[in-house]
Amino acid sequence: MDSCTLPGVAEELLREIRKAFQETSQAEMFSCRLKFIFGPSAVPALDLVDQRSVTRLRSPSGRILYQVLGSSGKLYTCYSSCHFCTCPAFGFSVLQKSESLLCKHILAVYLSQAMGACQELAVSEEQLTNILLAEEEDEG
Amino acid sequence: LCRGGLAERLCRLQNRERSAISFWRHQCLSGDRIPSDKSGVLIVKILEIFEECTIQVAICQQLEQSPATLSPEDAVINAEEPILKVLFTRETAAHLKSRPQDVIHIYPPWQKLLIQNADVPVIMNTYFSQKVLLSEHSEAREKTYGLTKMLIRKNIISLAQTFRLDDVNDKLHQESSDNQVPCAPQTHKNGDSQRRPLALSAVNDSLLEMVESQGAVGWREVQVQVVIQRVYCLPAREGYRSHTQGNKPLLSNGGMFCRLCLLVQDAYGMFSEVQLQSLSSTDGIEQYCRRWEGKSCCLAGMKILQRTTRGRALGLFSLIDIVPVKVPGQSQDSEMMTTNLPPPSFCYILTVQSGEIHVEVDEEEQISNLYQPPAVHGLKEILRIDGCNERCSFWGQVLYQRLQTKHSVPIDQREMLLFVTDSTLQNVAHGIPKVVAVSVTASCVLSMEITEALSAGSQLFFKDALWGNGRIICVERTVLLLQKPLLCSAAGADLSELTGPVRLDELDSTTQASSICALRGTVVGVNESTAFSWPTCNRCGNGKLEVCPQDRELLYCNQCSEVVTAPVLKMQLEVFLSCPSRPQSTVKVKVWHEITMFVLLTMLLFLQTYEVQSVLGKEVGLLSCYVHSITSHPNCVALEEIVLL
Repeated sequence: MDSCTLPGVAEELLREIRKAFQETSQAEMFSCRLKFIFGPSAVPALDLVDQRSVTRLRSPSGRILYQVLGSSGKLYTCYSSCHFCTCPAFGFSVLQKSESLLCKHILAVYLSQAMGACQELAVSEEQLTNILLAEEEDEG
Repeated sequence: LCRGGLAERLCRLQNRERSAISFWRHQCLSGDRIPSDKSGVLIVKILEIFEECTIQVAICQQLEQSPATLSPEDAVINAEEPILKVLFTRETAAHLKSRPQDVIHIYPPWQKLLIQNADVPVIMNTYFSQKVLLSEHSEAREKTYGLTKMLIRKNIISLAQTFRLDDVNDKLHQESSDNQVPCAPQTHKNGDSQRRPLALSAVNDSLLEMVESQGAVGWREVQVQVVIQRVYCLPAREGYRSHTQGNKPLLSNGGMFCRLCLLVQDAYGMFSEVQLQSLSSTDGIEQYCRRWEGKSCCLAGMKILQRTTRGRALGLFSLIDIVPVKVPGQSQDSEMMTTNLPPPSFCYILTVQSGEIHVEVDEEEQISNLYQPPAVHGLKEILRIDGCNERCSFWGQVLYQRLQTKHSVPIDQREMLLFVTDSTLQNVAHGIPKVVAVSVTASCVLSMEITEALSAGSQLFFKDALWGNGRIICVERTVLLLQKPLLCSAAGADLSELTGPVRLDELDSTTQASSICALRGTVVGVNESTAFSWPTCNRCGNGKLEVCPQDRELLYCNQCSEVVTAPVLKMQLEVFLSCPSRPQSTVKVKVWHEITMFVLLTMLLFLQTYEVQSVLGKEVGLLSCYVHSITSHPNCVALEEIVLL
């Protein structure tokens, strides 16, 4: 009983959404559960999905990065290999206070994947690297 | 938020949930003990608690029955009892203040989740939970505990663990149906509809929540209470092929096959179009309207066909917009208050699940106060409406009917043009037309009774026709009825019968093509090349008579299978008139024999003498005509004489 429960629950929920969406093109039935698990991130994340704000960037070598157009117009970067987002809410709620599992952008990335709502963009290796480095510069 | 999007949907759900939750908390605090023997209640005993993010995870033992029957000392974990992981939100946890050994009652609608490769089921959406105190001992203990803060272990979640959405072993339906187990706990196999302890009625009253909790697979046992706003028929395109015999469509009973549909509304302003059974004819639609509109009904056994938005279903939403947005008032027996909330931007289209229909309409009951009856207006008012795509209802006299005659279009898809008037148009001197054209598209399903009534020229009630761009159109969801519905708000409309003969606008410079008008003028010419006459059967009107083989001087009618002794002569002639009301145009009128006495005499005269001179200068007075076309270069109006119904 020592391992964490919540990630398994969240993953299962997202899987169900994806399955339901593939079968019926509807992801209607899960909003309540999303709200329960993800709390205040749920509605903003769904809104980002409604607005098709998530883009998956892919480089020739197969590296993947996600960019989410936030409501303020700012572009945030989410990693695919671990849960990380460049938005301030992630730094605060997830990293510092461990209050949330994900920020709304990462949740939007998952939901967009589940519902086939990701925009796809092929970029060069250099472009991908620049995006990653640019984030670093901002932090620095 | 995106209108009609998933976020808006969740927001609506959330708002309702929030008020339900706070009501529940209030009830718990005020000490009302809610009986726990209702079905759907999960009873658990907490063994261990820890925290992950803001969710409290409680490892629990599921209890079969109310622990009041067990001795309080019974703290031994029975290996037989199933273990559950119950999740609580921060607020619920704060409300419960649970500790190990506490017994919690969790009321529906909670949800159960089974995770792949994990043994222990997870219980979520546990908003409606209450701690149960077993004895006086417990109460005292509770008070002491309340003062000390319990330390709960917090699990920190690794960021390295991402979620994998695709399944390597993708089992289809089996898996998803296993995981999507709704409220009913496994120990209770009854198929009772869920009962929320707070609900005033046993049946759920929210369409959105029902859709939410049961999934696209459909809900069987759960019932939703709604109000029927409208009943209508939609043309059934899918079922059409199966009813055809060979290539010729089976057009029994006046036309197309259709589905009976209801536009329903729940107590929260959510709409849904429910498609019921296929009908072979729309006879009886008037009955359904009369018996069902405005009444409450319970829906069960439905499944979701589609979620549609305002942008994609303008016709449906123009009907929904008739109903003003109201919210339930604050008090118990509240009046509905009209608000400034925006009208709904999405709705669900539901359909019947595999042959079983459960629509129980409470016909005896009162009309719901949510019902918005059709607002009837005089045609004069409708012509003045500013908007576009507005639904309007009126009572009108049909003067003339014209079918679209393109032969390439199949019968069931032909449009019809009706010319309609009422006392509000007839009794006005100038400024507005006396007759208005109403087009009836093929998607507006007409019953046999109506089709017959149209040819006979009756007064009909047009319910929910569309007004826009200066035209009235009967489309999908418009219903034509022989009688005015019992409930309709007349809003001062003059629905009196027409007194006196109907008058048409006279042909003038404002006359448009595809309209009807009255005409008077002088004959100035005859189109001799198109003049002809032919005999018709005096019994059946058949125009294709044959020469009798026995006696070549007699005519024979195939349809009557008899000799025609007194054939009726029909004539067709195009006459050019000079009309004082539109002096600059050449007016060409196709006239038919047997319509007006004057024309008959004139034509007989013409044919006998074959002298155009004999008809020139004759006055032709007040013919009713249909305007075929109006051209400006050359300035010519082509009309056809008609008979008003």
